[in-house]
Amino acid sequence: MNISEHTAQAHADKTVGEPLVKNAKMSMRGVNVFYADKQAIYGVDLDIGRNEVIAMIGPSGCGKSTFLRCLNRMNDTIDICRVEGKLMLENQDIYDPSLDVVPLRARVGMVFQKPNPFPKSIYDNVAYGPRIHGLASRRTELDEIVETSLRKAGLWDEVKDRLHGPGTGLSGGQQQRLCIARTIAVSPEVILMDEPCSALDPIATAKIEELIAELSENYTIAIVTHSMQQAARVSHRTAYFHLGKLIEVNDTEKVFTNPDHDLTEAYITGRFG
Amino acid sequence: MDKLHLDRHISRQFNVELEALRTQLLEMGGLVEQQVTDAVASIESGDTALAEKVIVNEDRVDDFEIELDEQATLVLARRQPAASDLRLVLAVIKAVRDLERIGDEAQKVAKMAIALSGEGANRRGATELRHIGASVLTMMNQGLDAFARFDAEAALRVVEADESVDREYKTAIREMVTYMMEDPREISRVMNVLWALRALERIGDHVRNICEHVVYLVRGLDIRHISLDEAEAKILNQ
Amino acid sequence: MTSAESTIEKVNKNLARRYRAEQRFRLYGILSVLFGLSCLVVLFTDIIGKGYKGFVSTEIYLTVDLSSDDLGISDPEVENAFMQADFEGAIKRALYARLDVTDRRAKRALNALISSGASYALRDQVKRQPELLDSSHGFWLLADDDVDTWYKSVDSKSPFTGRLSDEQLTWLQTLDFSGELRTALNTTFFTSGDSREPEMAGIMGAALGSFFTVLVTLLLSFPIGVAAAVYLEEYAPKNRWTDLIEVNINNLAAVPSIIFGLLGLAIFINFFEMPRSIPLVGGLVLTLMTLPTIIISSRAAIKAVPPSIREAALGLGASKMQMVMHHVLPLAMPGMLTGAIIGMAQALGETAPLLMIGMVAFVVDLPGGVMDAATALPVQIFLWADSPERAFVEKTSAAIMVLLGFLFLMNALAVWLRRRLERRW
Repeated sequence: MNISEHTAQAHADKTVGEPLVKNAKMSMRGVNVFYADKQAIYGVDLDIGRNEVIAMIGPSGCGKSTFLRCLNRMNDTIDICRVEGKLMLENQDIYDPSLDVVPLRARVGMVFQKPNPFPKSIYDNVAYGPRIHGLASRRTELDEIVETSLRKAGLWDEVKDRLHGPGTGLSGGQQQRLCIARTIAVSPEVILMDEPCSALDPIATAKIEELIAELSENYTIAIVTHSMQQAARVSHRTAYFHLGKLIEVNDTEKVFTNPDHDLTEAYITGRFG
Repeated sequence: MDKLHLDRHISRQFNVELEALRTQLLEMGGLVEQQVTDAVASIESGDTALAEKVIVNEDRVDDFEIELDEQATLVLARRQPAASDLRLVLAVIKAVRDLERIGDEAQKVAKMAIALSGEGANRRGATELRHIGASVLTMMNQGLDAFARFDAEAALRVVEADESVDREYKTAIREMVTYMMEDPREISRVMNVLWALRALERIGDHVRNICEHVVYLVRGLDIRHISLDEAEAKILNQ
Repeated sequence: MTSAESTIEKVNKNLARRYRAEQRFRLYGILSVLFGLSCLVVLFTDIIGKGYKGFVSTEIYLTVDLSSDDLGISDPEVENAFMQADFEGAIKRALYARLDVTDRRAKRALNALISSGASYALRDQVKRQPELLDSSHGFWLLADDDVDTWYKSVDSKSPFTGRLSDEQLTWLQTLDFSGELRTALNTTFFTSGDSREPEMAGIMGAALGSFFTVLVTLLLSFPIGVAAAVYLEEYAPKNRWTDLIEVNINNLAAVPSIIFGLLGLAIFINFFEMPRSIPLVGGLVLTLMTLPTIIISSRAAIKAVPPSIREAALGLGASKMQMVMHHVLPLAMPGMLTGAIIGMAQALGETAPLLMIGMVAFVVDLPGGVMDAATALPVQIFLWADSPERAFVEKTSAAIMVLLGFLFLMNALAVWLRRRLERRW
């Protein structure tokens, strides 16, 4: 198969596998995304189950990050970006024009590729979300939220003695866990992770992956990753995107041992080119 | 999916490694097939020299096993193969084990050939041996062929053939029991024939295992421990 | 390798040439830097060489009889008693007595040696210390500018005599021999406004004028510039209109400053009928002029805030305004302040637009606020450079030194603020 064959196939096929689940936390139907006149996502139907970790994989430019950023309307910041289709968070239409994105983003948090702590203290980083949303009325309450969040992110023991030191003074992996703590401080229901380990070394990566496994007990997690091994390790289901189309969604074991689609197979076994 | 595109990886070195794994396995299969052929021939003809050769060559089969296991481990460690690549490596690891067992069984047959050659010209059971030997050899040949061509349908046909070998084996056993009842002096000789028949039947089972690995490798389906009809239905449903 | 020379041989052959080219290249750079530095050194030696004398003035020692009757002070407690007192006469009498002059013509020549401002200084001192009245005391009194110029050059081969007559020079030499001439720190220069008499002229008026003008400029242009930059960077849609605005802002930065002066004259003075020569109008005009600089530098500072920080804030559910106020502005502040201070330095050194709105007037009084007529430091320099008196040359250079000092301070402040406020991420 060469690239043009891949392309033809990608445009001809409907998503294979099981993109829809019962009792979904988020469900997306017929999602099209355009950057100005260029279409980036073509008719994606996908459900994200409750408390599941879904990994989105695919070659660069396949639209997986774009799709992820639709889920909490981070694409709103790009003027030329236009989203079509129905995206639901439980019973809430995410793209309802009357919906305020502020509470939406409190429900659907996001962790980014590059660890991006604010140039403030560790405490202030974690406390920022609760402060702007007014989640804590008293100082002690805020202290408690900060501690619980840092504990959940597995960072408490490492930073409890320097809560008022700068967040940027931590190592890369610690910074990323700080960002995760910051995100869970506003107790979201869904956490979106956009290649959270791509800037980290393998040990820090392993810690984050362990954290994802723990978090999946209480949160629904959608993670975009370039590392297929990571998708295989952390996720329950895996979605494969190719040239803006959702090619295949299946249980992770299935995708990594016997994928249904040739394109998925070609991608995860390293056969493009 | 009938083709695995082993030569399409971005990493050419990976292509080479997988291809080496496959050819080495087929080479080992060729050697084991030769062992079985020689063993069956020796028991039919009473050629002890041939039987000795089989026993000696068993060491080469063992060497192959060690060598292939090592290579498969290296590929696992270095490439973390996924999907069809992972299935190929797994199938090779398992097939190597079955081939080595087949080698052992061939050695047993050869030993029986030596034992039988010392016991006079009365060759009761020779027909059964020849018959089942021929069937097992055909299975072996077709099974390795299915592996070489990654052909799941051919593999399934070999699995079918094993069922008929099993039936033939049961018939032959009854025959042998009759012989032993007719002439108790023959019991020890017929027991040797029985051992040889049993070894051949086991070879058939191992070939069947190999073919099941081929189906897993090509289709990603596990058809072990289910009936042939169920296996066929599973493959058709895919 | 089929050729006779191997690659490494070829490389070695060219190596010397490459090193020479490299050195030549470095030499050009060093020469450019040296050229710039030498120009600076020439400029500074010239200004400082001329200007340092501007900070000192020549004084004459006289014993003045401060009898109340002669001065015409009947009761020191009465208001205006000192205002009407004849200190000038007392000084003149002291001068005649010191040099034994009786001839009227000689008296006039002698009077010209003392500055007309000396009597005011004496009056102020006596007013502060009324116990000095009715006794004789020695005072150092400010000499006239011609005396000042002569005395500062008296040690050179050809002292500058200017309008001084031989008779006056003889007197001065007499005084000099007996140690009754000295140079002292010129406090007048730092504390008073402009004057027709060079020895009486100071830069305080101009400095205050500049201060008020720059204050108005800062208070107006920084908030407006930052607000405009935030809107353009964070809120404005990217379309043809915002492109047009952007191009125009960039063009505005390149408009000659005199045009802004004309604009200010037309709008603020002719249309809004504001008074001429006041720092408020000057500040408004300079605001127009520095706005593009501040907007451009603020936009650059906002752009330099990493997008990851914005995303982090938005991803947590911060509104756009919270994102801007909590994260973008604090991070962009050092850059914005630097831009603003550089804009202010530019405004401080600006002359042309101020000429247009009348801040070139001769203002003796110190301005007390933004509505008082004033002039500005660079304009004062321009005025003094234009004056015929020889003594103004050193005043001009001294004023330039003061202006440069202020600019240097502002730039240092910009660097310090940047170091202080900059947070690393």
